[in-house]
Amino acid sequence: MRQPAAPASSASNPRAAGPGGPVWSRLQSCASRALRHQLLRLLLSAALAVAGLEACRRRAPDDADPPAKEAGGDVRVVLAMQPLWGPAEPFRSLLREFERAHPGVAVEVRTLPNASDLTYQAFLTAFGGGAREPDVFVLDVVWLAGFARAGWLESLGDDTLLRGTFLPSAVDAAVWQARTWAIPWFVDVGLLYRRTDLVPDAPATFAELEDSARAAMATRPGLQGFLWQGRQYEGLTCNALEAIWGHGGEGGAPGRLTLNSPEAIAGLTWLRHTVASGLSPPSTTSAAEEEARRGFQQGGAVFMRNWPYAWAQLQAEGSPVRGKVGVSALPTLSGAPGHGALGGWLLGLNPRSLQERREASRALLAHLTSKEAAVVLAVHYARLPAREDAYSDPRVTGAVPFLASLKPLVSAARARPVTPYYSLLADAVQGSFSSAVTGVAAPREALDEGQRLADALMGAPP
Amino acid sequence: MSLARRLRTERAQAILFVAPAVMVLVAVALVPILAALWLSFHRSILLFGERAFVGLDNYALLLRDTRFHAALLRTLYFAAVAVTIELLLALPIALLLHRAMPGRGFLRAAVLIPWAIPTVVSARIWGWLFNPDYGLLPRLLPASDVNWLGTPGYALHAAIVVDVWKTTPFVALLLLAGLQGIPEDLYRAARVDGAGRWTLLTRITLPLLMPAILLALLFRTLDALRVFDAIWVLTEGGPANTTETLSVYAYKTLLRAGNFGYGSAQSVVTFLVVMAVGVIYLRVLGAGREG
Repeated sequence: MRQPAAPASSASNPRAAGPGGPVWSRLQSCASRALRHQLLRLLLSAALAVAGLEACRRRAPDDADPPAKEAGGDVRVVLAMQPLWGPAEPFRSLLREFERAHPGVAVEVRTLPNASDLTYQAFLTAFGGGAREPDVFVLDVVWLAGFARAGWLESLGDDTLLRGTFLPSAVDAAVWQARTWAIPWFVDVGLLYRRTDLVPDAPATFAELEDSARAAMATRPGLQGFLWQGRQYEGLTCNALEAIWGHGGEGGAPGRLTLNSPEAIAGLTWLRHTVASGLSPPSTTSAAEEEARRGFQQGGAVFMRNWPYAWAQLQAEGSPVRGKVGVSALPTLSGAPGHGALGGWLLGLNPRSLQERREASRALLAHLTSKEAAVVLAVHYARLPAREDAYSDPRVTGAVPFLASLKPLVSAARARPVTPYYSLLADAVQGSFSSAVTGVAAPREALDEGQRLADALMGAPP
Repeated sequence: MSLARRLRTERAQAILFVAPAVMVLVAVALVPILAALWLSFHRSILLFGERAFVGLDNYALLLRDTRFHAALLRTLYFAAVAVTIELLLALPIALLLHRAMPGRGFLRAAVLIPWAIPTVVSARIWGWLFNPDYGLLPRLLPASDVNWLGTPGYALHAAIVVDVWKTTPFVALLLLAGLQGIPEDLYRAARVDGAGRWTLLTRITLPLLMPAILLALLFRTLDALRVFDAIWVLTEGGPANTTETLSVYAYKTLLRAGNFGYGSAQSVVTFLVVMAVGVIYLRVLGAGREG
């Protein structure tokens, strides 16, 4: 039988027109036209984003590099550092001072990403490829051993080089295998913040912290007890190590990381307890420093573990908790003042840097880690000095008394394990700590798993 | 000029014309893939200056690595759930946008906004929305004391929500393009034959839309299997690695730990998984075209 009129047949059997027929090709051209538009749009937004970032970067206050004196300087020294965030002038004049004292030397500042991970990657690719620049560069305290082992740091001397001049904890972070590989530039330390209007006296033990927090919480519904950083990232490692040290734990013997010691289990059990019992809010397991700081600053919590940077913002004009904040050492099981985790940055020398720049690079390193530089960094950029003598300088005690008052706490700070495996281990350790504090696994199981991973990584011949 | 000869010169010309494109593809796609494959046969840790050929050791380690297995299953789950929801949401949106109505142009543009926002930015926004202390979502949802991004089991679904929000417009756009390719005569003729709305949808629209649906599925599945940016910004793979997908694990191994050999092996397997799914889709698409 002859087919009826075409349209009807197509309607009753749509496939007759066929996806393979003109419809398909039309669809394809349609789709690809739409896709082309998409692509254009994406490219455009990417370009805009890049332009925007570029603009932000340019606007960063301290990013105005001192002009490289190509004509005047015979020797150029490249200094790689992260933005200091603050007024540009004090640091610039610090560099100018150096250039005046060393005629013929010009310092070129190269700005690194403001995220530690990205800076690490930048160094990994640059030094892994044998880069001769930068000549002087900043490094996170936890990278030191790895960089030293990789041959990316010039040895500066034996382990006595810095003793006496710099804080002991900062010296520990700069020494690996009895050699000094970098000079501490500025440091950071974990602190316990508390609301002095709710808890006048600082708690010495974990139990005191919990009791006084609960007493305050009972009088004010909605108030949270203890804020800390439980997101799966390096900050969690610092918080967990502090809790472990607070329960009497050590980092383990050199060359081996001990994660599943009884003290470590007790430390993680305490952290899990704070979340599980409601002493710390559920948000803790996804909180980093800023989440905690904002919650505390809104007046929503009794205690907070954080770095010294939070102080200036908590005490700023208009802050709801201004004048009601106290700082103390972290609590411990025994009641002895706890050890905060040591953070901060060191300055090191690139061993592959050009021969003619060596002397100037060393001089720049010495200049930037001098007492004078430490004072500038403390007064204008609120960076905690790594040098003992800067804490008693009248300019520091006068302009930033809070920083000056932290000296005993920084002196008691502890470095995270100094091992070349740190970057390999960090990930396994974070996963295991995160399992414990979120309750995915009991602390003992989580730490056993972490230990297994750590042993697998470190057991391998280096 | 003989036919055979003309064909030969045409062929030579054709080769000449595609050569630049092929060379670019080789340089930017094939070479890096082969380099990663080569690297995956080595134990290579940059910090230790190590570079030793270990054959298939890294792959043997992958077979034993429970974290990798979990990441693989999690990635497949993420892709399956996210893409299914996106398709189910995008189809009604596309049908709606296809109808002639006032303000259609504006609506079409408005729908694309989530897609136009860079993923990192939208993930940051969602991170705020999910914030348990001052975020909007925990207040709107019944179980208001759950910390979505910090609770295992919830965090991955939060990432799915972000992915669905962001890419549903893209799927809708592809489907809309497909709808516009369906000739209006078919509908008119069917209506003459007395077909109802439901019949029109199931007998004309959906069958003819099938190639567009498959195309959208192909793009979205391949994208979802490689998901990285949204998850990285939201959780960095946490809590307790419960949002760690293949790409996130590979990134951590490669660039955070600097373990290039093992990280490359993970990347190669990720690539193979994506390729395999892609090939399956293309087979289905091809079969659809012939049938």
